[in-house]
Amino acid sequence: MSKKNAILLAATELFSQKGYEGASMAELSRMTGAAGGTIFHHFKNKEDLFLNILRGIKEIILNSFDQYLEDGNLKNGMDMVEGAVSFYLQLASQMPTQFLLLHQHFPYKMAETNPVCRDYLESIYNCLLDNFEKGIVKGQKDGTIENVPARKCAMILFSMVDGIARFNTYQLYNAGALYDELIMMCRKMLRSDAYAPRG
Amino acid sequence: MPIITLFSGVFCGKKTVLKNLKDRTGYKHVTDDDIVKQVELLTGLQESKIRRAFSSKTSVFNEFTHEKECSIAHMRLAVAEMLMDEELIIDGFSSLLIPGNIDHVLRVCLVAEMPYRVAQAKTNHLLDEKEAKRTIRQEDGDRAAWIEALHSNPDPWAGELYDMVIPMQGLDENQAGALIEEYLHKNVLHKTEPSEKAYENFLLSSRVQAVLCKAGHDVTADAKHGAVVVHINKHVLMLDRLEDELKSIAGKVPGVKSVATRVDMGYQRCNIYRKHEAGVPSRVLLVDDEREFVQTLSERLQLRDMGSAVVYDGKSALNIVKNDEPEVIIIDLKMPGIDGIGVLKKVKTERPDIEVVVLTGHGSEKDRQMCMDLGAFDYLQKPVDINHLSKVLKNAHKKIQGRVQGA
Repeated sequence: MSKKNAILLAATELFSQKGYEGASMAELSRMTGAAGGTIFHHFKNKEDLFLNILRGIKEIILNSFDQYLEDGNLKNGMDMVEGAVSFYLQLASQMPTQFLLLHQHFPYKMAETNPVCRDYLESIYNCLLDNFEKGIVKGQKDGTIENVPARKCAMILFSMVDGIARFNTYQLYNAGALYDELIMMCRKMLRSDAYAPRG
Repeated sequence: MPIITLFSGVFCGKKTVLKNLKDRTGYKHVTDDDIVKQVELLTGLQESKIRRAFSSKTSVFNEFTHEKECSIAHMRLAVAEMLMDEELIIDGFSSLLIPGNIDHVLRVCLVAEMPYRVAQAKTNHLLDEKEAKRTIRQEDGDRAAWIEALHSNPDPWAGELYDMVIPMQGLDENQAGALIEEYLHKNVLHKTEPSEKAYENFLLSSRVQAVLCKAGHDVTADAKHGAVVVHINKHVLMLDRLEDELKSIAGKVPGVKSVATRVDMGYQRCNIYRKHEAGVPSRVLLVDDEREFVQTLSERLQLRDMGSAVVYDGKSALNIVKNDEPEVIIIDLKMPGIDGIGVLKKVKTERPDIEVVVLTGHGSEKDRQMCMDLGAFDYLQKPVDINHLSKVLKNAHKKIQGRVQGA
């Protein structure tokens, strides 16, 4: 691993645990063994370091979804929605530190004044919501999903799934045990009467 | 009558030994394929996915629903159910799921030295030397990851896991088969009462664990005469709710008389310091012109989570020092071109923060004194005990970390 990546990784951990104000560059230097000068050689300042992390998270999420859609064997719209739910939860459990960071308050506060930060966060949430919305629209065409407002429904569905992901990141409960019921609820919410469910 | 398990490195002649052993004993042969098929039936997961539990590569499993843990729990159950039969040879990764206290199982492991394995790969699989070594490295890595997942010990050939470890170089399959058969007859491997009880506990705990995993819980279970203890391996805020759910699921398994839950604090999520200061150097540079030796050493360090790179001469070592940032260098003294002393001198003048460990086969007391005077961190003689070397590397890492923190 390059020194730069090692700094990014340790800083992600630090920001996710201590927030923006609480993360000190001296502590980062102790964690990575990189001198302060080395850190500021790679990143202009603390803000730049954080934005680099956020860009990294954005890229991973966008690429993973692209990859997932390419690989996916999705027969109809309902399958696509269920796939998006399952994929989001899997992503959250694969990148717990990054999701802990996304579940902090400060990035959204920063986005109010910092256009770069706003742009990254907007891309992340657009990507996530698009997948639910596309699934719903497709399902309405192929008759698996009822005629509901696709965009709004996608946001409600996403909030529900993201809430479950939070159950995991905040270690409230073993959220994995809720999975089957979550999928069942999604189906109930969206299912068109004309569509007979499997099983 | 007993059960034989057979585990082996790749290209250690297992196939022929297995055939010989089957001819000798007439036992029924159970493979990982059989176990995986059974798991497919039990869980509905794809066969190809289940199989990936044996691989150290990036996971294809859904971590949110704990698919990997669920696969392994059902493998354990499948193996436990197979053991109801006797006169079996269980071969492969899944054989290691059987707990050590079940005494009517003869655990055999086949190993071999590198040249033997490469020769086997060449003749039986038509691989060239490079392909053979790559395959061996990869497959050994898979085995190490599997053993580590089961026993928290990355050494798949550790003696305490087996009743017999047979080195295959210099033996043919007939001799190996005869050795195993002899052991089988000499040692009374019949079912005894404690062994029978141990098996019943294994079967019940496997059943409980499988049903809990299927419900989405990543937990382990112990059983003793119907009393089950479920271990919760992670921090959960709403613990009462979780315990209620686990007890209610486990309580329904036939044969369970009582269920208790226990939170294993050792599994608590690592804090940020432990994760990043795991105590081992992540960038070790090995410099030695004995290629075979240094490559093996590098692999063994990688098994212990130490990232390492290898070069074969002093000049390349100095190039790496210039362009990369190794934490620790392990160096031989006698090398063509710039020798170990030359590298040591240059590194300690230009980059004193890098620690250098000298590892040599031909050193004298005078050499030792000179190296230590030049600022070497330690001076070791070949052959080196890997555990000792690991300790030295950890100490070097500690020294570096201490310096950084003091700065």
